[in-house]
Amino acid sequence: MLVLRVLQSGILHGYAIAQRIHVLSSEVLAVEEGLLYPTLQKMLRKGWVESEWGVSETNRQVRFYRLTREGRSQLKAELSSYDRITQAIQEVLRTA
Amino acid sequence: MKELFRQIYYLFHRRRLDEELQDEMAFHREMAARSGRKNFGNPQLMRERAGEAWGWTWLDRLVQDLHYGARILRRSPGFTFMAVLVLAIGIGINVTAFSLFDMFALKPLPVRDADRIVRLERRSPNAYTSEMAYPSYEFYRDHAHTLSAAIAVFGIPPMQLDNDVQPTPVSFVTPNYFTELGTIPALGRMLDPSRDSSPSASPVVVITYFLWQHRFDSDPSIVGRVIHLDGKPATIVGVEPYDVATLGGQGPSIWIPVAQQPYFIAKSKVLEDWTNSSIRMWGKLAPGVTAAAAAQELRALTDAIRRDHPDAVWKDEFIFISPGGHLQVMQPEMYRVAVMIGVLTLLILIIACANLGGLVTARAVARQHEMGIRVAVGAGRWRIFRQLCTESLMLAVLGSIAAIVLAYIVLRITLAQLDAPKWISPTPDWRVLLFTVVATVVASVSFGFMPAIQIARQKQHKTIARQILVGIQIAGSSVLMIIASLMMRAALHALYTDPGFGYEQIVSVDPHLSRHGYSNSSSQAYLAEMESRLRATPGVLSVSLVKMPPLGHVTDRETTEINNRKVMIYPNWIAPEFFQTMGIPMQLGRTFHPGEKNVVIVSQSFAREQWPGQNPLGQTVGDDPDKSTVIGVAGDAHINALNDDDAVEQYWPMQPGDMPDMVIILRAAGSPGSLTPTIKSIAGNLDQSVFPEIRQLKALYLQNVNGIEKVAGIISLVGMVAIAISAVGIIGLVAFVVTQRTKEIAIRIALGARPGAVLSAVLHQFLWPVAIGIFAGITLAAFGSKLLRMVLFGIDNLDPLSYITAIALIGIMIALAMLLPAARALRLQLATILRYE
Repeated sequence: MLVLRVLQSGILHGYAIAQRIHVLSSEVLAVEEGLLYPTLQKMLRKGWVESEWGVSETNRQVRFYRLTREGRSQLKAELSSYDRITQAIQEVLRTA
Repeated sequence: MKELFRQIYYLFHRRRLDEELQDEMAFHREMAARSGRKNFGNPQLMRERAGEAWGWTWLDRLVQDLHYGARILRRSPGFTFMAVLVLAIGIGINVTAFSLFDMFALKPLPVRDADRIVRLERRSPNAYTSEMAYPSYEFYRDHAHTLSAAIAVFGIPPMQLDNDVQPTPVSFVTPNYFTELGTIPALGRMLDPSRDSSPSASPVVVITYFLWQHRFDSDPSIVGRVIHLDGKPATIVGVEPYDVATLGGQGPSIWIPVAQQPYFIAKSKVLEDWTNSSIRMWGKLAPGVTAAAAAQELRALTDAIRRDHPDAVWKDEFIFISPGGHLQVMQPEMYRVAVMIGVLTLLILIIACANLGGLVTARAVARQHEMGIRVAVGAGRWRIFRQLCTESLMLAVLGSIAAIVLAYIVLRITLAQLDAPKWISPTPDWRVLLFTVVATVVASVSFGFMPAIQIARQKQHKTIARQILVGIQIAGSSVLMIIASLMMRAALHALYTDPGFGYEQIVSVDPHLSRHGYSNSSSQAYLAEMESRLRATPGVLSVSLVKMPPLGHVTDRETTEINNRKVMIYPNWIAPEFFQTMGIPMQLGRTFHPGEKNVVIVSQSFAREQWPGQNPLGQTVGDDPDKSTVIGVAGDAHINALNDDDAVEQYWPMQPGDMPDMVIILRAAGSPGSLTPTIKSIAGNLDQSVFPEIRQLKALYLQNVNGIEKVAGIISLVGMVAIAISAVGIIGLVAFVVTQRTKEIAIRIALGARPGAVLSAVLHQFLWPVAIGIFAGITLAAFGSKLLRMVLFGIDNLDPLSYITAIALIGIMIALAMLLPAARALRLQLATILRYE
């Protein structure tokens, strides 16, 4: 979900995705490559993201990932269910 | 769906994509290294994990397993060869049997609309005939809307072609036969309804390719040639194609339009006679009509015939429809035979699998070390189990390929022997291939599954599995051997025992007077003259008349129940000299007086069944007004049911109405064949247009026995193969046990055990399986062989001699198979072994 969300704002390559999440979460969350790449492969398989070749900021050939239409709707679905759950948890925390 | 496409795309480009991923991850690490992180973990492992997301790992593993399995099988060529051989035989026999069934009963004839062709036969709850009267056929043809075509085939005795010595088989047929089947002639034209339907058309014939080749030397200008059949000229208009497909797989050498029947058979009234059942009827269902719908309509038509011609239809008669677009129109009895053969061949497969199971289990011990290493380096049980199953499947696939080749060779030979129609080919079709695939999977599961579980759980020392496998093999072999020996006994019995009548010197002479328009009185005159001239011929001992001649073309039978036992009664109508001529002994009473009525002679078995312990003479058969008194009891002679032990006979005095159907039989003093010219010349003097069918009973009888002998031979061969397979398997198992227990045996011998005691220690574990296996085999065979009664020629299906022979043979084989390897234990070099240990 986080990967999808990060990709919503633009196309990125693998390392940049990890960096972005790391930075945006104020360095709380660190996405290891052991997790990131299987996830990206799975998303390619599911058709949520597409990949294309580009040149990185260090002038190296690298693969960039772009969110597809299906990816967007998947993100939407995941965000709404996540919202529901966090809300529910919040309710419990506040009232119990 | 799209996801699947992407998966498949990945599969085909995986090498490139994998490299890309590797590149990408390398870039990630470079970047990470710049920002100061050092701990990367195992890049190879991570890449594999990422690749797993595509869900193709199982394929990788399978390829690995296949490579590994191939290596293992290559490394033990002896085992691989044995296993493939055993499987090839086990599966091959099944594939062969199924292919034959497929050819005869499943493969559609290569004719137009084969799926709509049906065979139509007269049935009633207690009567059955494969033939019907021509006028009935016409009635069905003209009135049935559910049939788009109706075809009649009218088989007659062979006719004399020009001046040939041997008669040539001919058939009358409705000309639509070939247009409906879509037969394309090799030369000229086939029969054609628009030209050959009228009796006034000029007489034409179509000949087979074989006749054209062999009788007419493939004469290219054959079309238009005039030939003479029984002296009547006819023009050849066409030659059948080489690979012609005929209905029911049968065909004569010459086809004649049925409208010409009165021309060729002078004065015949068969085409107008509602009570003379002599044609075989085939039909083609109208498009979209089911057989059930057609049956319903035909039933109504049968009732309509009954109103106008009560004689032509039986009580409760109906037309039985069976699919006709195959080589063999299957009757229920044939399915029973097919099932029986299927069970026997399946038994071989079971034996083969049990055998291999034993070998695989034994090998497991040799591979204990290997498995230990694999487990130690982290292979899971599941993975090992899968690896072993892959190996079994590879063996089974190799075996199946060999089996298909084997089956192809056997079928080629069989087809050549059987003189099968030329369009049949031994090449497997999709049904056979599907069957082979199923057999392969079933086989690999049944011989590989159990051992694989055991090995994967590392518990291969269980003797019980071995014992079960030995038991199964022995039970299966016992069944096959017992059945083989029953069949052998039956063949010998049939060959060397008196069938109840003297067949060797008998000739039957069938003038087919009813087909030549003879009346009762003219038939009587013809037959009487013929009889007296034959009696005057030197070398003729005795002459008589009979309606149903021995081993004849037609039989008449009724099914009844006597004391809850199903009995087939074969009635016959005879002249008084019948018993003397046939050499059937009179057990009690006397034969008929000429012209006697309301009397009957029954066979010994009938008398015994019907009136046990009473005097049969003076008892009555039937109800008024046909009530008849028993005046004699004749010996059992199944003249029209050689193979049926349940058959009984009733003989009635012939009546004037039977005369046109009577057949002359005579007993010759010398060689019966030498009488043929004399009989022909007598017939020629009496009536030029009648050509009697002359048959030597001995030849017919031997033909019948020959068939049984061949079947018995094949079954024995199969039985021997089965027993050989099990013997090899047992040798392997015992040898394995000996090897496993070498140390123990050596210590026993060193401590002074006697050879007998050592042997019994080794073989002890096989004692019970063998005993139980043989017992189960006998039980199964005893039940199963009930189905065989019909072909056993009067041998009881529990015939003790056959059972004892079979069991003795198996016993010897097993004993040898066990003692040979076990004896090795006794010759062990004690010192070497003990030092080695």
